[in-house]
Amino acid sequence: MLNFLKQVGDYAKESVQAAKYIGQGLSVTFDHMRRRPVTVQYPYEKVIPSERYRGRIHFEFDKCISCEVCVRVCPINLPVVDWEFDKASKKKTLNHYSIDFGVCIFCGNCVEYCPTNCLSMTEEYEMAAYDRHELNYDNVAMGRLPYKVTQDPMVTPLREYAYLPKGVTDPHDLPAGSRRAGKLPQELLEEAESATSNADS
Amino acid sequence: MSQGIDLQGSFVELLTQFGLPAGVAKAMWLPLPMTLILLAATVSIFVTVWLERKISAAAQQRIGPEFAGPLGTLQAAADGIKLLFKEDIVPAKADTILFTLGPALVVIPVFLSLLIIPFGQNLVITDIGVGIFLWIALSSITPIGLLMSGYSSNNKYSLLGGLRAAAQSISYEIPLALAVLAIVLMSNSLSTIDIVEQQSGYGILGWNVWRQPVGFLIFWIAALAECERLPFDLPEAEEELVAGYQTEYTGMKFGLFYVGSYVNLVLSALIFSILYLGGWESPISVDLLSGLFGVSETTPWLQVITAAIGIVMTVVKAYLLVFLAVLLRWTVPRVRIDQLLDLGWKFLLPVALVNLLLTAALKITFPVAFGG
Amino acid sequence: MTLAEGVQLVLFGLLAALVIGTALGVVLLSNIVYSAFLLGGVFLSISGLYVLLNAGFVAAAQILIYVGAVNVLILFGIMLVNKSQPFTPVRRGWIRLIATGGVCLGLFALLSTMILGTSWQLSTETPVGDGATVLIGMHFFSDFLLPFELASVLLLMALVGAIILARREFVPDEPPTDAISDALKLPERPRELVPAGREGSESPE
Repeated sequence: MLNFLKQVGDYAKESVQAAKYIGQGLSVTFDHMRRRPVTVQYPYEKVIPSERYRGRIHFEFDKCISCEVCVRVCPINLPVVDWEFDKASKKKTLNHYSIDFGVCIFCGNCVEYCPTNCLSMTEEYEMAAYDRHELNYDNVAMGRLPYKVTQDPMVTPLREYAYLPKGVTDPHDLPAGSRRAGKLPQELLEEAESATSNADS
Repeated sequence: MSQGIDLQGSFVELLTQFGLPAGVAKAMWLPLPMTLILLAATVSIFVTVWLERKISAAAQQRIGPEFAGPLGTLQAAADGIKLLFKEDIVPAKADTILFTLGPALVVIPVFLSLLIIPFGQNLVITDIGVGIFLWIALSSITPIGLLMSGYSSNNKYSLLGGLRAAAQSISYEIPLALAVLAIVLMSNSLSTIDIVEQQSGYGILGWNVWRQPVGFLIFWIAALAECERLPFDLPEAEEELVAGYQTEYTGMKFGLFYVGSYVNLVLSALIFSILYLGGWESPISVDLLSGLFGVSETTPWLQVITAAIGIVMTVVKAYLLVFLAVLLRWTVPRVRIDQLLDLGWKFLLPVALVNLLLTAALKITFPVAFGG
Repeated sequence: MTLAEGVQLVLFGLLAALVIGTALGVVLLSNIVYSAFLLGGVFLSISGLYVLLNAGFVAAAQILIYVGAVNVLILFGIMLVNKSQPFTPVRRGWIRLIATGGVCLGLFALLSTMILGTSWQLSTETPVGDGATVLIGMHFFSDFLLPFELASVLLLMALVGAIILARREFVPDEPPTDAISDALKLPERPRELVPAGREGSESPE
């Protein structure tokens, strides 16, 4: 009998505890309701891509020497390099260059290994098309520079978390000229240079 | 007790003064409150859908609908128009008759139950004697519609969803009815008007929440389960059953399920506020205030104000409960089907029975406080 | 005839036609699911008749019990039984059909003569209407106490039986060999009875 009563008591205690946990959960949810939305209202607001963003690849036709390194380092040999050997100058001349961005995984190997730096990453990510073949960019399309988010009058540019001042999580209504937390890369570089020059002298 | 405004009486009187026979005048009155309530129910869907989306968005730190109308208030209308113009597809091997009949069977009982919702002393379509019992009876028709649509869709997920909905509905009907029974025991009547009357007079202190704290919780859990709201939305658990019995539905047939579920939520909240939160009574009794300021209860302007306060109070209480339901939706994870049935049969049912017996015992012991 | 009486007459005709139509559908349709759904229709129309008879409580109880519980249970049973057998036409099946038809017609004739032959005594008391709930309760606890309690005992027995059937989790792989001694036992793998206490269940060591 006592055993049974204890069981009932334990059960009641567990029920009360469960109710308490649900109450705690409710208070958490309720607390979230007064917080500012963290979402970016996309077509009207856009996050500024970070400095190392790997977007659509930019190609400079005149720099290319048709060495095909990009094809060899590509995981799937994606770039198409159409060149002819010009017997007069004993050099390759490039006719066409294209990358299908419907297949590209934006790993950036081609950019890294390009000996003449004719390939580079842009911050463009809006490449929606009605036909997947439209994603096959030729050298003209790849030569275009993307529109900058910060220069678009229709768009409110928002900084990413890493570019916000220390302790700030909301990218809206930042005071003008507010700096991101930590040191900027060029400052680090300057420090290192001054340190080496100090050591030299 | 015929205080307050009697709209029906004055309307019939007006028409008889124009020379119409009394029967015809009454027949002309009949469709008016029905249309009004139907309109109110439709508006309540818009409000509830908007609330649901906005509160969900706020709880998840989003903004929610924003562009359809001011603050996205017309989003529900946009959804409804979209559903209205969508192609109505009946799956090739589905049972056409049952497939069409299912959504109607789900929606009609819900709308019929609005008959008994009082918004004031005389602001109710019918004050029938069986009152709250009618709601319990009518809500037991819904699982048949769910089974019908689940079976006729010729889809295993639909069938599973329909079966789950029926099982859940039957299981939670019993604790729900027992919780209601305890209230009925205290107010000596099944009529919704009498139940509110019995709570009136002491403002917030007279409400049944204080006398039925256990029944209050049982009723809310069971009502959430009956509405298939989130901790108990097993029948349409997306991860397991695609969308349950709604899987094969498109267009307005799907819209009917949508409408039915939201009206059902509002209806449950309304009934909850009537049973436990004093219905149209305001937290501080209007009678008390009018007595304090020395205004007679039969003053016409006071009666209009009382009626307005009654309607506002009922709706505000109901929407507070809808808010709680939406908040619960984003707080509590979905239970498993065996946990659901365990909770219903092994926890709520015995607790509801004990609650009923306790209420009966308390009623005999303290007839003053528990309605002798 | 006033408006209300006319409406009542039309409604009675409609409901009666519905009851008869759906009941015929239950019996005559070969699809068992249709029969089950039509049975719900029969119950609903009968509850409509109760409403016409000014018996609102009985009508609501009819819907709650017959539509909400019995019919849903029947549908549940049909849909959970996953046994599809091909329909094989029975040889000389028409004999069975004719015999059934004959029996049914005979029963119908018998009942009709009985109904027509009885002189029905119409009660002159006015129907209680909404007060019926209280009156039914009074009857349950006075002159109909015995049937009421017997029904509850019956339901309790059914409940206990259902629990015993449902709790049988361990069905043995082989049927028991000595059928005579275990005739009254349900086939079940022998297992230890779980003691009520929490400590008891944790102490096999």
